[in-house]
Order: sequence, then structure tokens, then C-alpha cells
Amino acid sequence: MNNFNPKKIALTKYLFYTGKGGVGKTSTACATAVTLADSGKKVLLISTDPASNLQDVFNADLNNKGVIINEVPNLTVVNLDPIQAAAEYRESVIAPYRGLLPEAALSNMEEQLSGSCTVEIAAFNEFSHFITDEKAQKEYDYILFDTAPTGHTLRMLQLPSAWSNFISENTHGASCLGQLSGLESKKGVYKRAVNTLADSKLTTLILVSRPEEAPLKEAERASKELADIGINNQTMVINGVLTSYDDSISESLYQKQQKALTEMPQGLKGITAYMIPLRAYNITGVDNVRALLAKDNCIVSDGKITARTILKLKDVIDDLYLSNKKVIFTMGKGGVGKTTIAAAIALGLSAKGKKVHLTTTDPAAHLKFVLAESSGISMSRIDEHAELEKYKEEVLSRARETLSAGDIAYVEEDLRSPCTQEIAVFRAFAEIVDKADEEVVVIDTAPTGHTLLLLDSTQSYNNEIKRSQGDIPESAKKLLPRLRNPDETEVIIVTLAEATPVYEAMRLEEDLQRASIAAKWWVINSSMYQTGTTNRLLSAKASNEVEWINKVDSHTNGKFAVIPWSPDEIKGDKLKKLII
Amino acid sequence: MKGMQIYEPAMCCPTGLCGVSVDPELLRVSTVLDSLKKNGIEVQRFNLSSSPQEFVNNKSVNKFITEKGVDELPVTVLDDEIVITGRYPTNEEFAKLLNVPSSFLGEQPKTLKLKVKSKSGDCGCSGDNCC
Repeated sequence: MNNFNPKKIALTKYLFYTGKGGVGKTSTACATAVTLADSGKKVLLISTDPASNLQDVFNADLNNKGVIINEVPNLTVVNLDPIQAAAEYRESVIAPYRGLLPEAALSNMEEQLSGSCTVEIAAFNEFSHFITDEKAQKEYDYILFDTAPTGHTLRMLQLPSAWSNFISENTHGASCLGQLSGLESKKGVYKRAVNTLADSKLTTLILVSRPEEAPLKEAERASKELADIGINNQTMVINGVLTSYDDSISESLYQKQQKALTEMPQGLKGITAYMIPLRAYNITGVDNVRALLAKDNCIVSDGKITARTILKLKDVIDDLYLSNKKVIFTMGKGGVGKTTIAAAIALGLSAKGKKVHLTTTDPAAHLKFVLAESSGISMSRIDEHAELEKYKEEVLSRARETLSAGDIAYVEEDLRSPCTQEIAVFRAFAEIVDKADEEVVVIDTAPTGHTLLLLDSTQSYNNEIKRSQGDIPESAKKLLPRLRNPDETEVIIVTLAEATPVYEAMRLEEDLQRASIAAKWWVINSSMYQTGTTNRLLSAKASNEVEWINKVDSHTNGKFAVIPWSPDEIKGDKLKKLII
Repeated sequence: MKGMQIYEPAMCCPTGLCGVSVDPELLRVSTVLDSLKKNGIEVQRFNLSSSPQEFVNNKSVNKFITEKGVDELPVTVLDDEIVITGRYPTNEEFAKLLNVPSSFLGEQPKTLKLKVKSKSGDCGCSGDNCC
């Protein structure tokens, strides 16, 4: 496998980075952007991740219009924050009516325009604007998209076709999309966006992965789903490859990576792959971004751990048990190991005699891969597609009781709207949390961006529940009050001892606080620090963790646990080691 | 023919399918209006989030929401006069206010048809050729 060098590869104008959370999409996209810009090209880099960390990488305040990076004058960076885009959109709708309509009417509009549907539509509008903008096309040699975690991205990329079909096939007007007046006029923009994405002379999809089993599987899934919607020009970047070893820890990491690469999923084998070696440093600051594709600097930092005692996951489980928590979430950036920790917590509480249900909303998670079904823990997965079909059938069967065939066709048209999926998932989520009456529910959530949207929709739906006359499931009514009750619900924030996952975890915590949801414990996963490695690269990496472990310690007031990096896949009996 | 408009609170979609549950009342109104339209009778629906300008243009509606707020929506306007507030017209009211036969409001509910079917099932035939 050759090293990834954008200067030596024929690149298209538009480059799309996708992959499981935590694989290094942002680092890879930034390094490509800086490398190309340094070689004299004009480059535009755009993030569409609701939990973007480009501002940490470039150490700059970013916006949705574009900011030129001082140290890289040929590079302009745009951060599309969907929440902010939605706020701007909302304001553009409401502002003309200030003074013309009473305050009650304005706040009614505002509330309606705060749902996740609006957030998604507003974000997508901006996103397709950049793909189709002729000015940007003339001004820049390369336009790079650092996308949100895979699940969200796929939905976003599928929207153009889903939406343009919806708009053109919907005979009674784009009813569900009515809140976006003038959407019909966007149809041309969406169509051009899809055409650009599918044109192999214009767009390359770069599947980013780590040399590990789960992200490679996710890359295969993304590759196939994107090919299905016409994006066939694909290439792969394997990030974080260890190229040599000299002690037992580095050897087991090396072997684990090589095994994952040898057993690469069938669907990826025809795709050209490049690699980026594992680096000891965090990819923040322009110097490190520049170095990523060029060189390593194994500088061992001499920081000391400030915490007097470092707790284990067992201590967290004891606390959850003693405080009798009923709903437990694991949250954090993608790729930090939320599924493993959720499974370990479920196992730990089950071992103490609790009845436990473990669930995931992450499309990429494989609970059964981690925990055997015979473990005595019931398991489920919120599958977006399946939930959508279930919800559609429920609505239609009710409609069939009272409506004629022609009217049912009308309802069916509305059910094709993209909003329907959001509702279906929300209801499934509420049903699972409702199980907490009977048993402890441990929820491994999807990567941050998606989770945030989910919680946001929980809030806006809760407002809607208050005034809707419809038949609302009990579970939906109980959801938000339960999530806000700190005696019942606890969020475990999972992170790695690295800059980006820690910053992102802090932002996640702020979002949770805004939603009045308690988070007490942090868990630092896969820490090299406690492994005692003597390998030059890995020990430098371990020493760089100290700063972040200390930061978490002071931030949480010692309420954190550390799980050492393990050479093995953490599943089955290995999972038990985490709870003793 | 009389002109009818319905002014509704801010909603995502007229059928209510986007809400956290399906509101059968919204479903009924959507399908009734759809049937009326097929019969050449157009009843306009304005919801606050997608057509705020209509709430400015119509003076009586504007006065209404200024005085009563949005909780009394929907209101039904017939020839510029508010005729029903706080709820949607019933099917009978639609027929009466618009002066149209009730057949314009859509087909008979399917449940009735099903009852007929189950009766005919008594004939004893089976398979695809069943009456």
C-alpha cells in the first residue's frame, strides 16, 4: 500500500471524506487541504459535521461563510453548523413578520421551525449550495467536504434524490416540506448537487478507515450505499498504520492491524487504497496537520499525572448500581468505544443481579459481536429503515380503518417525506427508554452529531406533544421528563486521551446541560499510558495522553475511569475483565 | 360558489404525519379537501409557518389572532367572514357551507365496504375468483 500523497494522485475538483467516527476523516481532509494549498492550489475545505472540530484543528474561529487560514493563505475553511444554519433560516422566515403578526403567532412559528426537520433541511441547503455554487467552482481548484459521521452523511447524501423524487412525484404539492417555502425552486439545485456527486470526473469519494475490523466494515457499507446512489468514483485511505514493532505492545498492535487489513471486507478489495502511518502526536495546529502526510516527530513529553488515584470502569458500575440508575447512556465521539463500554456496563450490572436491556442506535454497531446472546442480557438495535417501515404500516393500518383507497394513497404520499424517518426513530427510542420501568436500560448511542439531533427532536417533539390532539404513545410523553431526572438517568461520557475526543466530549456535555440531562462520569478508553509500552512511537503517544488525562481529571473532579489499551478485540470473556 | 379558507397554527405538514403521532382530525380534513379539489372546489389552507403573509393580508384573521392568540386556531373563513373557530368544520358543515353534495367530500369510508365484503364472503367460494 502506498502512502497517501495528494500531490501524486490524480484528484477531482470535489473530494468527499466519509467513514466511521474517529477514523481521522477531519485529519485526513485537513492534511489533504493543507498539502494542496501549500503546493499553490486554491482550496476550499467545508465541514458538514454537527459536531465539527475544524476550529480545534486550525485554532481559528470559523463560520459558514468561509475563513482564510493565516498560516495557509491558499486555504479557506467553512464550518457548516446545522443548528446555526437552522437558526438563520428560522430568522429569515420570521423577521419580515415582526410587528405585522402578534408575538404569540411569531413564537408559534419559531417553535415549529425548531424541529430536527428544519435543522436537517437548512444544513442540506447550505451543503448543496457549495456543491453547485459557480463562484466557488471558478475560484477554487479543489473543494473538500469533511462530512459528518457516516450514518448522518448517508442520509444527507441520499436526501437530494429522495427529495427531488418526493417533490416531483408528490401530486398534492410538497406538503410536508411546506414549511420551507420556495423549496420547489431548490429542486434544480438539488438535482445539480446529485449530478455533481455522481460525476466521476468531478467527484471522488474518499473512504477513510483505521486498520481495524469495525471501521473497515463501516467503510464497506458506506461504499456500497454511496455506489447505490451513483457515487462510484471511490478511493480509500487507511489512517494510523503502525509500520514496525519492537516490543510486545507494538507487536500486538501491528499484528492486529495487519490481520484486519488481510481480512479486509470483500466489498473494499477493488478500491485503490493508500495509507497514512500512525503518528505520535495529536492532529491539532497547522504544523501537525502539515506533518501528518510527511513525517513523524516522536517527542516524549514529560508531563505527570495529577490524579491521586485513577478509577476503573468497575468503580463507575458500582456507583451506577448503588445509585440505582434506570437509564444509562454511553455518549461520545465516534470510534471511542461506546459500544464496548455500554456492553461492559450492562454485563457488570447484570452480574450484580439487575435485569438489563442493552440497545444501540448506531447503524454501525454490532452488539452481538461484542456480547453473546446467552449472557442473560436482552439486546436490541434501533434500525432506522425497519422502524420507518413499522411506523408507515402502523399509520396506514389505522388510516385503512376509516379512509377510502384514494385517501390512503394521499396518506402514502405524505409518508414518503424524509421527516417520517425521524419520527419513526424517535418513537422507537421512546419505547426502549420506556422499558426502564421494568429493567435497567443501557443505551449505546450513535455518534455525537446524530445523538444531538435526536435529543433536539426529543425536545421539540415534547413541545408538540403538549398541544397535539393526536393519539400520543405513553412512552413519548414520558421520555423527556425521564431523561431529565438525574435520579433515573445517567450519561457516561466516553473519550480517548487525545485533543479532539476530549474537546468534543466537553461540547457534548454542554449540550447535555442545555437539555438538562445529567452527566457525571467520564471514561477514558484505550489508553496507551497504562500499558507500559517501550516502543518509541507508542511511548511518545502515551506521554502525550498525560495532558488530556489531567484535563479530564480537573474537569470532572476526579469522576473518571481509565481503560488501558488492549491488544485483543474486547468481547466475550475479555469484556468481563473490564468489570473486575 | 363561495370561497373558503382555513387558517391553521404553525405545522410541519397538513396531514399531521410529521407530528409525534397521527392526528385523525388532520387526516380527515386533508382528505376531504383533496376530494373537494378533485370535484373542482378549492379550499385554501394556510398554516402560520409556511404562509405567514396570509395571516397579515386577511384583516379579520389578523384581528382574531391579535386578540385571541394562536390557541384558538384553526379558523375557517367563508367569503371573508370567520365562521368557525377553534376546530375544523365537520363533513356536514363543509357540505353545507360550500353548498355541495356530500359525495363531493370523498368516497364512503372503507369500513363500510369491508362489511359488505364479509357478508359476500358467506357465499362459500374460495380462491382468487371469490366474489
